[in-house]
Parts: sequence; structure tokens; C-alpha cells
Amino acid sequence: MRFLRFSVRQALQGLWRNRVMNVAATVTMVLMLVLLATLVIIISGIEAGLAFIEAKVEVRAELHDGLRDESISQFQQRLDGLAEVASTTFVSKEQALAEFKAARAEQGQSDLSDLYTDFNPFPAYFAIELRDPRESRSVVALLESETGLVRTVLGQQSGIDRLVNLTALLRNLGGIVLAFVALTVLLIVINSIRMALMSRAQEIEIMRLVGASDRYVRWPFILEGVFIGLGGALITLLLLLVASRPISDLASEIAGQVPLGFDRSLTVQIVTIVLGAGLGLGSAGAWISVRTYLRR
Amino acid sequence: MAPGPPPRPGLPLEGRPAGSLAAPGGQDLARAVPAPLPPPDSVRLTDVTKTYPNGKAALLDVDLVIPSGDFVFLVGPSGAGKSTIIKLLVRDERASSGRVEVVGHDLGRMRRKDVPLLRRKIGIVFQDFRLLPRKTVYENVAFALEVTGTPRRLVEPAVERALALVGLTEQARQRPDQLSGGEMQRTAIARAMVHDPRLIIADEPTGNLDPLISWEIIQLLLRINEMGTTVMMATHDAEVVTALRRRVVALEDGRVVRDEVGGYHREY
Repeated sequence: MRFLRFSVRQALQGLWRNRVMNVAATVTMVLMLVLLATLVIIISGIEAGLAFIEAKVEVRAELHDGLRDESISQFQQRLDGLAEVASTTFVSKEQALAEFKAARAEQGQSDLSDLYTDFNPFPAYFAIELRDPRESRSVVALLESETGLVRTVLGQQSGIDRLVNLTALLRNLGGIVLAFVALTVLLIVINSIRMALMSRAQEIEIMRLVGASDRYVRWPFILEGVFIGLGGALITLLLLLVASRPISDLASEIAGQVPLGFDRSLTVQIVTIVLGAGLGLGSAGAWISVRTYLRR
Repeated sequence: MAPGPPPRPGLPLEGRPAGSLAAPGGQDLARAVPAPLPPPDSVRLTDVTKTYPNGKAALLDVDLVIPSGDFVFLVGPSGAGKSTIIKLLVRDERASSGRVEVVGHDLGRMRRKDVPLLRRKIGIVFQDFRLLPRKTVYENVAFALEVTGTPRRLVEPAVERALALVGLTEQARQRPDQLSGGEMQRTAIARAMVHDPRLIIADEPTGNLDPLISWEIIQLLLRINEMGTTVMMATHDAEVVTALRRRVVALEDGRVVRDEVGGYHREY
């Protein structure tokens, strides 16, 4: 308790005495944490969008006309037996035509029934929902090999792939940018604490000569780094709190019905990441500085 | 060579010189040993050589024993090895060879984490006082206790005792820039004494002071010595050394060239 009180008091004194450098370190820390939080929000937004789209994606296998009911139901059983397949729905030619007419009617357009009075141009099809839409290739390949049954296979793999690739690219690019910014923050914290150490060189020397144990010498400076990190994280969270409403609104506007925004789990995630990164970088920078400066 | 008790390796060399064996916690030892042991030497250097990484030999085969309660002047020209001896005694440096024992601790075997415990048994006073300018006299002295984890209730009486010893009770609330040179050095001595050390090492304590104030400081160190604390004082002040007729250890080129009771004898 005595030790903690002493360390906190010394750290706060140090922060005040070295305030210009510490403000610079804190501001840089805030910039990095805002960047980090933004990246988390964007990636989580894209992932939410991706999940939303993926949930709606199905593979459609259009069948040849004139197949016997028996072969159709056997084929459905085979499809249902596949590990990748979540469910299959059979849509007959008549149902397909009805769906088409309903869709046209919904859009307020003619159902074009005069074009096909005596025949139904729509094929029967299987709507296949996959457990993991990213794994549709194997199912598509199987369907395409069934040339006797399947006329055409319709999927949306390329669209999903593009989104997945975009997310990965953002992750990687963001990660690289963040790594550089984090390194800069680390160096600034190291420098800030080093200046604190140098400005208190005489105090440190006296402490050592009168028999202060290492923890009394080191911890005030490490706490100074922790306080810089904590301050940076709290300011960042405050900024995000102020900005969260406009960001949510903007996200809903862009994404429409895609469920984006600050839900509970994203908030917890951001608070954890920002606090963790701030405290981690602050204490790591201070630790490195203290280790290198006081190693004698 | 100064007289001193023979080395007693392997014995726990703890405790104050007088009455320590009768103190609580020392009773088992008192029962186990029939006759009271003489107190350990404050300083015992045996064949000590110190060569710095740049190849400079600062000390060569130095043997020096300072019995507990002694008052010793360490004299010699600049570069003779005085500062190196002081650094070895507080374990700021380690000997290249030989054995360094201070208040019962073999510093060659001492682990790094035990160094603070050694330094709490030694008080150090410097020519340039080394006071913290933002702290008052009281705070400067209390700082030595705070940073060693002394409970708060013990800090105040200890600081007041130390300030009374050096005669600075009235100036307790002043900052160093409001003090005279003599008062600053007395503050530094109070800080050195606040742990009740067994050895005081004073490195040119009068170097920045005029002769009259220097005498005050010497008188204070003599009084501290009379109270049982060993004092080792490095100095260039021939007048003080000659007048006091105490033990003088003279160093030259890293060797002890003279060790006797008497004056300064030659100008360094």
C-alpha cells in the first residue's frame, strides 16, 4: 500500500513535470487508438454485411424437364446427405412459374403470360442452402457433374469471394498501417519515459544510494507509461462515444437493411481492444525505457 | 597496516557494535555463543584490485581494515583511487579481484537484489550535497525513508531525530535554495544518518565550504563517530587532517602508501 501510494504519487508528479512530452505521447496514442477502433468498426461492419448476404445466398440447380419424380426425390436425398448442405427445397415447374408471376406482379409489371400460354419455360429447380456459403465450390462441382439431371447451376460465389477478399485486404492493410503507428506510439512512449528518467536522474541516484529497492525506482516510471496509455484509451473511448450515433446513422444509411452499428458485443469488443492496446503500449514502452536506462 | 580482528568467514556479521546480541531476535545467538563476539569490521579490503573496462588500473592490491567505531581519513591526489574505493564500498562497482567486506557483507557474493539492504547500513555524504531542490529539508531527509518502504508512523520521529542531531530542526520547512552551504551539507548528513547507519562515508564533504563551516561539519562527523558510527572521510583538506590527529590512509596511484595516525605530511 505504501509502495503503491508512493509510486502513484511519483508517477503523477512525473506526468506533470514532463507534461509537454506526455501530452504529445497521449495525443499520438489517441490517434492510433482511433485508427484501430475505426478499423475494427469497418471490418465488423463488412463482416456483418457479409454474414447477411451469405445467409441469403443459395445455390440453385435447375433440372432438365421430364425427369421422373423418383429420380428427383433420390437426387434430393443425395443432396441432403451432403455435409455442406443445410437444406434443399424442391421447386416444381409450376411453382417456378407462379414465383415468376408473383415477382412481376410485385414490381407492378405484366406477367408476360401471353408469351407462354401453352408451355411453361421455367425449369424445376433445387434451392440449396449451404452450411458455409464460402464452401459452395464442392457442391457446385457435384451438381455440374450430374449432367443427366442438372441443366444449369446458379451460384453467387464470385460476389462472396470479392467481399471476403476485400475484408482480408482491409485486415492486412489495416494491420500493416496499425503496426507502423503502434511502433511510432511505442517509440514516443519510450522517449517520453526516457526524458522523465533523465529529468529525475539525480533523484534516481539518491534513491539508489539510500537503499531504495528496484521496484521503488522503476514502478513510478512504469506507472507513468500506464497512465499515458490509460489516458489515451479513455480519451479515445470518449471520442467514440460522442461519434457513435452519427457513425451508426451513417452505417444504416449506406447499408440499408444490413444490421450494422454499435451493438453490445461490438461495444465490448472496442472497449477491450482500445483499453488493452493503450495500456499495453503504454506499459511496454515504459518498461523498455526503464529496462534500458536503469540497467547498471 | 591498521590493527583489526582476524577475518571470521562464515559467521553472520550482523548487528550493531554494542549490545546487539542482547537485543530481541539476537538471544538465540547469545545463547549459542559463550562469549560476546567483537563487532565486525566496518570495512575490510583484502588484496583488492580494480581495473576499469578501459584498462585503467584504479586500485592495486589494496588491503585496508577499518574496525567498527573508527574515524579514518582517506587522502590522496585526484585519480589516486579514493573514489574507486568508495564505489566499491557501496557496491556501485565490483572489485576485479580480492575481497570487499562492508559491515559484515561480502560484496563479491552479494546478489543484486540485496544491494539496497547494504546501502541502508551505510550513509553517504557528497561534496555537492545532492539534495532534491523541490523538496524541503524535512522532505529530503524523509525521502530516504519513504523510498525504502519505512512505515509512515516511523518516518516522522526518525526525521526529527536526524534533524535534531545536525541542528536543523528550525529549518525543516526550508528548501535547499534557502539554505547556506553548511546547512545543505548538514541536511545531507541528516539524510545519511536517518537510517541509523553503521558506517558513514563522506566524500570531500567540506570541498565546497569555507574553513569555518568546514570545521562545523567536521565537528558534526566527530560527534556522530563518538555515538558509535564508523566514519570514513575522503578529503584534500590538509589542515583538518593534520589538526585532528586521527588515522590517515593515503593512496597514490591505486596503492595504499601510508596508513597511520597523524597528519597530512605531504601536499597532494
